[in-house]
Amino acid sequence: MPETAEALLAIEGVGKRFGALAALDDVSLRISAGEIHGLLGENGAGKSTLCNIVFGVHRGDAGEMRLAGAPYRPAGPAEALRAGVAMVHQHFSLVPDFSVVDNLLLGQAHGFLRRREFAARVTQLSEEFGLAVRPHAVVQDLSVGERQRVEIVKCLMRRPRLLVLDEPTAVLLPDEIEGLLGVCERVARSGCGIVLVTHKLAEIRRTAHRVTVLRLGKVAARSEAPASEIDRLVHAMIGRDLRAAGSAGAAAIGDVAGAALALGASAEAPAGPIASAASPVGAPSRSGAAAESAAAPPSTSAGSPSLRVAAAALPDAPAVPPSAAVLRIEGLGLRDAQGVRRLDGIDLVVGRGEIVGIAGVEGNGQSELVAVLSGMASASEGGFRLEQQALGGQSPRALTEAGIGVVPEDRHRDGCVPAMSLALNLVLNQLPRFRRFGLVDRAAVRREALVRMQAFDIRAARPDVPFASLSGGNQQKAVLARELMLPGLKLLVAAQPTRGLDVGAVEAIYGHIRAAARRGVAVLLASSELDELLAVADRLVVMYRGRLMGSCAAAPENRARIGAWMAGHAA
Amino acid sequence: MTTLASAGAVRGARWATWLAPARRPDLWVPVSAVLLALAVGLVLIAAAGVSLREAIAAFADGAWGSPYSIGASLNRAVALALVGLGFIVAHRANLTNVGGEGQIAAGGIASTTLCLYGGAASLPGPFAWIVPLLVAALAGGLWGSIAGFLKVRIGTNEVISTLLLSFIAVWALYGCVQSTNLLRQPMTNSATLPESLEIPDRTKVPPLIPDLDMPLHLGAIVCLVAAAVVALVLARSLFGLRLRAVGLNPPAARRAGMPIGATVMLAMFIAGAFAGLAGGFMLQGEQLALKARFPSGYGLDGLVVGLLARGTAKGVLASALLFGFLRSGGIAMELVAGVPSAIVLVIQGLVILLLAGSAWWLERLK
Repeated sequence: MPETAEALLAIEGVGKRFGALAALDDVSLRISAGEIHGLLGENGAGKSTLCNIVFGVHRGDAGEMRLAGAPYRPAGPAEALRAGVAMVHQHFSLVPDFSVVDNLLLGQAHGFLRRREFAARVTQLSEEFGLAVRPHAVVQDLSVGERQRVEIVKCLMRRPRLLVLDEPTAVLLPDEIEGLLGVCERVARSGCGIVLVTHKLAEIRRTAHRVTVLRLGKVAARSEAPASEIDRLVHAMIGRDLRAAGSAGAAAIGDVAGAALALGASAEAPAGPIASAASPVGAPSRSGAAAESAAAPPSTSAGSPSLRVAAAALPDAPAVPPSAAVLRIEGLGLRDAQGVRRLDGIDLVVGRGEIVGIAGVEGNGQSELVAVLSGMASASEGGFRLEQQALGGQSPRALTEAGIGVVPEDRHRDGCVPAMSLALNLVLNQLPRFRRFGLVDRAAVRREALVRMQAFDIRAARPDVPFASLSGGNQQKAVLARELMLPGLKLLVAAQPTRGLDVGAVEAIYGHIRAAARRGVAVLLASSELDELLAVADRLVVMYRGRLMGSCAAAPENRARIGAWMAGHAA
Repeated sequence: MTTLASAGAVRGARWATWLAPARRPDLWVPVSAVLLALAVGLVLIAAAGVSLREAIAAFADGAWGSPYSIGASLNRAVALALVGLGFIVAHRANLTNVGGEGQIAAGGIASTTLCLYGGAASLPGPFAWIVPLLVAALAGGLWGSIAGFLKVRIGTNEVISTLLLSFIAVWALYGCVQSTNLLRQPMTNSATLPESLEIPDRTKVPPLIPDLDMPLHLGAIVCLVAAAVVALVLARSLFGLRLRAVGLNPPAARRAGMPIGATVMLAMFIAGAFAGLAGGFMLQGEQLALKARFPSGYGLDGLVVGLLARGTAKGVLASALLFGFLRSGGIAMELVAGVPSAIVLVIQGLVILLLAGSAWWLERLK
C-alpha cells in the first residue's frame, strides 16, 4: 500500500442531490497513485454518482475535489480526460462496424489517420499490461470481454493518472475477470490510481489495497486491509449482520449470504466456477454449512421429500413420477438463423415445488433454452409440456396464459418498458385484467401496484414514478413480482435474475423464488453464479455447448463433478 | 402517466393560471415564437418589395376577413387536424406516417367513385354523405396498412414505404382524372380541366350553420369528437398503452403478451383512415369534384401539425388551427398582394422551426 503525503485524488465532503433524493452526502475519500481503491456498495448507494462526479458527467452540489493537489472540478468528461482522469463505463461506446484501431482513432486522432502507428501503440500497451487486444479485429466480432479490453486500452492510450472502472466485472466470464484484475494490478503498478467499483467481494479481497463502502449516499466504512475484513465490509454494505440473520433461521438470508461469503472465502483459489470446482471439495466451513442447509429438503415444501432428488432421465437420477412433473422438456433442439446448433436434444423434467438450477459457463445455450420456454424463439425439434399440455411454437402470450412466468436475462430489453411507470410495468402482462368501461382502470392498477410493491419490498416514492428511476435491484424485484403474481403460475423461468445486483437484493430475489417454490411452483433457474445456485436450487443440471451434461443434487460435494461438466468433461 | 396523474391535482388551479398566461411559459413561449416568425416574415416581404400594408391586408382578408374566409380556414384546419390525429396515434407506437398525401388521395378517389358512380346519392337521408366518408376512411386506412403490413412482414421502414405509397396514390389519382373511362367528366374539350364531375348535392357534407355564407361543414364537429376520442384512447385505453409499450420497447411488449404485429398494423390503419377521412371531407365538403392536384399538400401539412402537437390531441387542434389560418392567409397574400410563394413557404418554415425550438426550450426550463 503506497503511502504518500499528497493524495492523487482527494474528495472532500462531496454531496449531490437529485430532486428530493440525496444521492451523495458528505462523502470524502483519498486515492493515492498506484493504489487500487475498491468502492463497494449496494445498488443505489451512490457509487455510480460518485464516479460520474469524478469523471465530470455530474457536478457535485457540495464539497470539493483536488487532483494531485490542484483544485479539480471538471465541467465535462472532456475536461476530466484532459486532467488525466479516464473512466470505463458499464456500457461500452464502440462503433461495432469499425476495427479496434479505428475505434481508438476516434476522438484521439487529428488530420491524417496514422493507423500503423496507432496499431503499434495498441500492441505495445497490450504487451505492457497484458491486455489481449487484436488491433485489426472488427469490434462486432469481439466478445464482451475483448470489447472491455478495447475500452481499457482506449483509456490507457491517454496515459491517465486515475482510471475509474464502473462495475467492470459484471459482464465478464470467470477467467476474464481474473485477467481483468491482473490488468488492474499491472496498471496500478505503473503508478496510475484505480477506482474499482464492484459489489463482488472476491474481487475486493483479491486486488483492492483500500476500500470505501458507500451506503445510502454516505461513507459507511473504510478499510486499509480489506482482505482480512470482508465480514465487516459486507455488514457495512447492507447495514445488518448476515450471519446473525442466518442463525436466526431466515433461510433465504442465511443461505445467500453464505454464498456471498463463500465467494469471498474461496477467492484465494483462482476465481470462477470451473476453477473453484477444481479446488478440493473440502470447502471453507462457512460456505459448506450454508450450502448444506440449502441442499436439505425444506420442511415446508409442498412436494414429497422424494421429489427433491428426482431428476430427468439423466445419469444417477430417478425419474419424476409423471403426476408431479410440471415441466417436461423432450428432445428439444434449436438451430439459429445461421443453422448453428444452439440446443441439442435437451431432456429435462422439473417437478412441483422443485428448483432446478442450470449451471454452466454463459453462452452454452442457457439463453436459448430460456428463449424457447418463454416463446421468444421456437424449437427446431422436440418440444415441451406443461402439466401434460403440449407447448412449443406458441407465442409468449399463450405461454403466459398457460402459466409460465419468465424473468428474462436482459431485463431492460425484454422485461420492462423503462419509460413507463412502475405501476404499469408491474402489471404489463395482465393489463386486460385492469379494464373498466373499456378503459384502463388506473385506480385498480395503482392499487395492485401498491400491493405488489409492499409484498416484494419494491422501494419507490410512488407507483407512478418512471420505471427507469428505480435502482437495479428494485427493477428486478418489480419484474419478479409481476411474473410471480401471474394468476395460475405453474412454472417460473428465471435467467440470471441476480446479475448486477448487490447482496441485499440477491437475498430478496431468492427469498421470493423460494417462497414461490414452497407454494408448488416449479422453478428453472439459469445462473452463472454457481455458489448462488448451490445455495438456492434443489438440483443442478449443467449446460455445455447446447447439451445437458448431467444432473446432480445441489450439494457442495458435487462441485468437482459440476466443474468437470461445465468444462465439457463427461463425469 | 405522470402528467396524467398530476393533471388532476392541477385541475383546481387551472382557471387561475389561464387568466395569467404570463406565468405559463408553455403558453407564451410558443405564441411569441409564432409572432417572431411572422415578424421576420414581414421583413422578408418588405425586402421583396411588396407593400407591407397590402400584404397584411391580403393575409387578414384571406384568413379571417369574411365569414367565407373564416369558414375556408376552419375547413382547412379540420382536414389538417384529422391527418394530425392519425399521425399522433401511429407516432405513439413510434411509427412515423409521412404518407398522408397518398392516404388523402386514396380517400378522395374512393369517395368520388362512390358519390358519382356507386349510388351513394340514392342512400336514405344523411347516409348519402356519411357512407362515402366512411369508405374514404376505409380506403385511406387500407392504404396505410400496406405500409404496416410491409413493416410487420419484412421490416420495411414505414417512413420510406408510406412516402413511396404516397407517390403511387397521388399519381393514380392523376391518372383517374385524366381518363374518361375512369373518373374524368364525360364531356371534355380543350377548355375543361382534368377533373371529375361535381358530386351530387345529397352526397355533399352539409354546412355546420345553414343559411350562412360560410362554407364551414359538419367535419368541424366530427373533428372535435375525434380529437376527444383519440385523447381518451391514447391516455386511458388498453390499446393506447399497447401502442406506447410497442413504441418504447417491442421485445418487452412481446414478452408481456402484446400482439406487436397487430398493433403496428392497426396503428397504421388508423393513421391512414384519419387521412382518408380528411380526404373525404375535403372532397365532399369543399372541392366537390376530384381535381388533378387533389391532396394539394394537406398530407404534408398534416404531418407537420402532428409533429408540432407533440403527441397530444389538444396540440393537434391548436397547431391545425394555426396552420389552417396561416395557409389561407398565405395563399391570399400570394394571389392578391403578389408576395412570392417562396416567401410564404419560408414564413411557414420559420413558424415550424421556432415552434419546435420553443418546445425544446420549454423542456429545458422544466
